[in-house]
Amino acid sequence: MEITSKIDGAVVVFQLAGRIDAATSPSVEGAVNTAVGGGSKRVIFDMSAVSYVSSAGLRVILLAAKKANAAGGGMAVFGLQAGVQEVFSVSGFGRIVPITANEAEARTKLAG
Amino acid sequence: MKHLTLADEIVVLMLDDTSGEIKPGCLAVAGVAIAAGVLMELALVGRIDTDLESLFVVDRTLLGDALLDDILLEVAAEPRTQPSAWWIDQLSTRHGDLVERVLGRLVSSGILKEEERKFLWVFSRRAYPPVSGREEREAKARLMSVLFNDEVPDPRDTLLLGLAKSTGVLAAILASDEYEKAGPRIAEVAALEEIGRAVGVVTGQVRDAVASIMMAHYP
Repeated sequence: MEITSKIDGAVVVFQLAGRIDAATSPSVEGAVNTAVGGGSKRVIFDMSAVSYVSSAGLRVILLAAKKANAAGGGMAVFGLQAGVQEVFSVSGFGRIVPITANEAEARTKLAG
Repeated sequence: MKHLTLADEIVVLMLDDTSGEIKPGCLAVAGVAIAAGVLMELALVGRIDTDLESLFVVDRTLLGDALLDDILLEVAAEPRTQPSAWWIDQLSTRHGDLVERVLGRLVSSGILKEEERKFLWVFSRRAYPPVSGREEREAKARLMSVLFNDEVPDPRDTLLLGLAKSTGVLAAILASDEYEKAGPRIAEVAALEEIGRAVGVVTGQVRDAVASIMMAHYP
């Protein structure tokens, strides 16, 4: 899994690539904790290069949203591939973490 | 303080404080709930993972907890990958009396007392009343917090809510109007975790089977 981030004030956009599962979720959690701890409380995941999300992966996304909300910000995701979209749909994750069409929409959602 | 496992917590919640026995409404699904609780715990500590199709071991390192380790070893030994619902069903029947085993753990850790009680003046039965009841109160408080706050739920609390919903514990804790009002939130949170959805499916099957037997005997 590759994790790159760009920080723009209170907004951090993580570009994730590969699989988010039990093996890779600690890296995602660590990256989010560092960013939110540093003041970037609006967290956006660009998932367009994420091919697979397991339950451990969903759990770390839930924890990221919880962390961002607790800091007074929020979280949104965009770019879900079909398989990942199905996982989000079955679990109803979209009711907890907003799914947007693109980064601009995610930024608008979190700014509101 | 070492926290209780989800299997321990759901047993504490399923117990009737007065009789010291598993509530009649939970009895048929108690083993299923414990099996699911163990799998959930193994998922939270990074030993297993799941997806829409299957449950699989990701780390075989034992935890030093006899119940969790027994089930981890059994899942690791299975040559074919199986879905969560299959494992919950299998483990609930293959591991002897899971209820007795968890009750024994809770007595050993000082959370429950074991008592011999008489009924009909002659017959005796074992009862497991709580020592302080603190663990039950804490678990209920966490469930209420998930239900009546709109915050993003913690994964452990999400899983506990899935167990409490499937076993009928939630319906027993809440007044009927509260349960109805909380319905959308209960459904939303219980769906988040794959093993939480699977335990709902298996407990539904068990209740259907019990109802069929009852209908056959008392049409």
